[in-house]
Amino acid sequence: MSRLKAEHLYKVFGKRPEAAVKRLEGGASRDELRADGTTAAVIDASFEVEAGEIFVVMGLSGSGKSTLLRMLNGLLDPTSGRVSYDGRDLTALTPAELREVRSRNISMVFQHFALFPHRSVLENAGYGLEVRGVPRAERERRAAEALELAGLGGWERSWPDELSGGMQQRVGLARALATDADLLLMDESFSALDPLIRRDMQDQLLDLQKRLKKTIVFITHDLNEAMRLGDRVAVMRDGRIVQNGTAEDILVRPANDYVASFIQDVDRSRVLTAGSIAERGDDADAVTTVAADTPLADLFAPLALGTGPVAVTGADGAPAGVVTRDRLLAALGEQPAGVTAGA
Amino acid sequence: MPRIKLGSWAQSAVDWLQNHLSWLFDAISTVLTGLYDAVHAVLGAPDALLMAGILAVVAWWLRGLLAAVFAFAGLALIDSFGLWDEATATLSLVLVASFLTLLLAVPLGIWAARDERVSRALRPVLDLMQTMPAFVYLIPGVMFFSIGPIPGLFATIIFSMPPGVRMTELGIRQVDGELVEAARAFGTTPRHTLTRVQLPLALPTIMAGVNQVIMLALSMVVIAGMAGAGGLGETVYAAVTQVDIGGGVESGLAVVVLAMYLDRMTGALGKRVSPLGRRAAAKSPSGARPSAVLNYRPGTAVATVGVVVLALVAGGMHLAGGERESVAAGADIGRGKKVKIGYFPWDEAVATTYLWQNVLEARGYKPEVKQLDPGPLYTALAQGQMDVQFDSWLPTTHQQYMDRYGDKLSDLGSWYGPTSLELTVPSYVKDVDSLEDLKGKAGKFGGKIVGIEASAGMMGKLNGNVLKDYGLDGEYKVVSSSTSTMLAELDRAIKNKQPVVTTLWSPHWAYGTYDLKKLKDPKGAWGKGEELHVVGKKDFAADFPRIAEWVKGFKMTEKDLASLEAEIQKGGKGKEKASAGRWLDARPGLLDKLAPVKTS
Repeated sequence: MSRLKAEHLYKVFGKRPEAAVKRLEGGASRDELRADGTTAAVIDASFEVEAGEIFVVMGLSGSGKSTLLRMLNGLLDPTSGRVSYDGRDLTALTPAELREVRSRNISMVFQHFALFPHRSVLENAGYGLEVRGVPRAERERRAAEALELAGLGGWERSWPDELSGGMQQRVGLARALATDADLLLMDESFSALDPLIRRDMQDQLLDLQKRLKKTIVFITHDLNEAMRLGDRVAVMRDGRIVQNGTAEDILVRPANDYVASFIQDVDRSRVLTAGSIAERGDDADAVTTVAADTPLADLFAPLALGTGPVAVTGADGAPAGVVTRDRLLAALGEQPAGVTAGA
Repeated sequence: MPRIKLGSWAQSAVDWLQNHLSWLFDAISTVLTGLYDAVHAVLGAPDALLMAGILAVVAWWLRGLLAAVFAFAGLALIDSFGLWDEATATLSLVLVASFLTLLLAVPLGIWAARDERVSRALRPVLDLMQTMPAFVYLIPGVMFFSIGPIPGLFATIIFSMPPGVRMTELGIRQVDGELVEAARAFGTTPRHTLTRVQLPLALPTIMAGVNQVIMLALSMVVIAGMAGAGGLGETVYAAVTQVDIGGGVESGLAVVVLAMYLDRMTGALGKRVSPLGRRAAAKSPSGARPSAVLNYRPGTAVATVGVVVLALVAGGMHLAGGERESVAAGADIGRGKKVKIGYFPWDEAVATTYLWQNVLEARGYKPEVKQLDPGPLYTALAQGQMDVQFDSWLPTTHQQYMDRYGDKLSDLGSWYGPTSLELTVPSYVKDVDSLEDLKGKAGKFGGKIVGIEASAGMMGKLNGNVLKDYGLDGEYKVVSSSTSTMLAELDRAIKNKQPVVTTLWSPHWAYGTYDLKKLKDPKGAWGKGEELHVVGKKDFAADFPRIAEWVKGFKMTEKDLASLEAEIQKGGKGKEKASAGRWLDARPGLLDKLAPVKTS
């Protein structure tokens, strides 16, 4: 069973939202509603997130991704539809029950960190535990552990405004980790950071994820980030999820022109893997052997060394084919289906 | 457009409230008076300089040594003006009013911040409270809550509440929405979101509001002094009405000292209590300070010890210094019974009130005197909150009050008469002796007659009868101002030897101070003179039979009155009682004549 499940979620702002949902179900467009002064932020969004998975929701601003995220922990009430967590219908909970779920099971990391300026780093990290009524000693121990995990050991007594942006977001991450919540909602959490810091944070998140195996819903407008982090990626446009699949799915088989135009700038060599382009061939003179999930970027150096191909082995170690120089170049230059060159 | 009788509706509403909810007002009044008395007792108990010391230690704790020195100097200055009691009364009123205001304003502000509809509904109400002239609700306040500090408190709360509400609302609304969302995302209850996130972060703004509340309360308390709230407001008001420039400056300065003290202390308190302020203070580089000594601030514990020690010293001194005034044996008729004498700051009222205060004390009563405006005073008499007053101008000037409250007041007889109203010129204005002489001389006087308050009865008479009867309307313009402005103008003109014509009346101390000439009124346009009556509450004669008997025989001549007024004028502000006592002592036998011990 999936850990988190969203079924036909709608969120409409404005007058008479239920009627607007009916009209949307009847095929009305978002623009028609907007003319009446109602805004359909999320339209018929359904997806499932498995335990231990990073599920990325990617979309431009105004696509409804942040609204979608806030329906997952009840910060916003869906106009229609259901959210279940571990089989429990979150939309049916009383406010008190919902608060309980938020303080124990679902944490959130914010775009602008949302650290409390009047609390020290340690007090910020322990905030969720404080809300839950965990005694001070235990709370401080667990908050310190979470800070250590997030790479901020030794900064407990500092204040948020003394830290750089990246460090502040580590506090935000520690605050989310300290409650031991299984589900992490991350709202454009790295978007406000410098590119270099952002990369560090992505690496650290992936690293943490290997150890902690949280279930993460990550919102971003950056496709490279989505491809890098996401086990699966949902692309949103105008309130709807237009494609939902693995990074490679989206790159190789974009669902429509919108997604296709989106992925043009993606560094394909970092998303596509050796396994996905391997072809049958002779690996007798292979220069090296790599695993199937190796990104193409890591094949450049070995292929430049000699004329032979790179051998690829599957997860079980069995040979999965080879990648030749020609195959590599062809894969990188390939245009996604449905998009004409130069579009 | 039909006449909308909003005014009469308001009047009926006030009447109705007065008739049906007086028990509620009494209850409120009892609680508030208790609160005020308690604070005043604490602030007023220690010796002035000791209390100044305590307040200076608080300043030291909050702001540093320099602030403490200035605070002590300023407060000592108030004491040297002889205004310490008034200042502590004002300070108590401000503190109680601010406390009550904040008790109401902060929750209202929180409510408004959380509910847009409340905010919208509150806005016009707050505008009304802030801009409605204070006297409009000061007087109903007197009707509801009786004379004393409570109507002033009531008016002050109304006036100073808006910034408290607004700044609280603003402060909470200003808190970053993402922080509030973060609190919610971790399962914080709405109440804890308020107490753990919104209020701490809004605190600097709320404290700015507190500061505003206190400042407005102080300015209002001064105005409320005119409605019997006492304190510095009363001295400012009295000084202004008597054109006592020196006294006005001194009491005004005392208000300024209090204002600065309260302003700086609440500002610093804001930094002390708000977590963000504490952060900022801790972060500021200590090397940038000009002097470690001047900025050394004792810790909270040290400051508390300081305050407690000074307070204990004060307590000890207070216990040691209890004394009683003695009353001549056999003359203790009053046996400590309280008599509440009200007066408005008219000179003959001041003179007689303080004269009788001396007389009644000598007879064992405990007379309490209270300065009020005529409106509130008559209201208070009618409601039995005041016992008696000595300066009822009848049958014209104060007739309206007798008409309104006639059956709730008792006329105890007249002690002076007849009075007269007149136009007056300095006697160096040679060729003008009578109202008839004014004709054709408008150029000389700049075409104006300096009047008093437009609402005064004599102004109506001047415009309605006098000018017409002498054919002066059109030639002269009556400038209405206030009695104090008129007297200031008279003083200025006399100093510059300029011609001036002003409205004046007898008895008036100006006739003793300046060389003036009353313009004759051959046509009798001013009408007959009035008598000055003693007016008591309805049951005065039953409650105070001896006093009623004494005042019945009370008479004064213009000469006596002028000399009494001059003595009081000479004695200066705040010493009226002593001056009147001196005047009385200088006239052996007068006391026994005014208040014979044996029943006649």
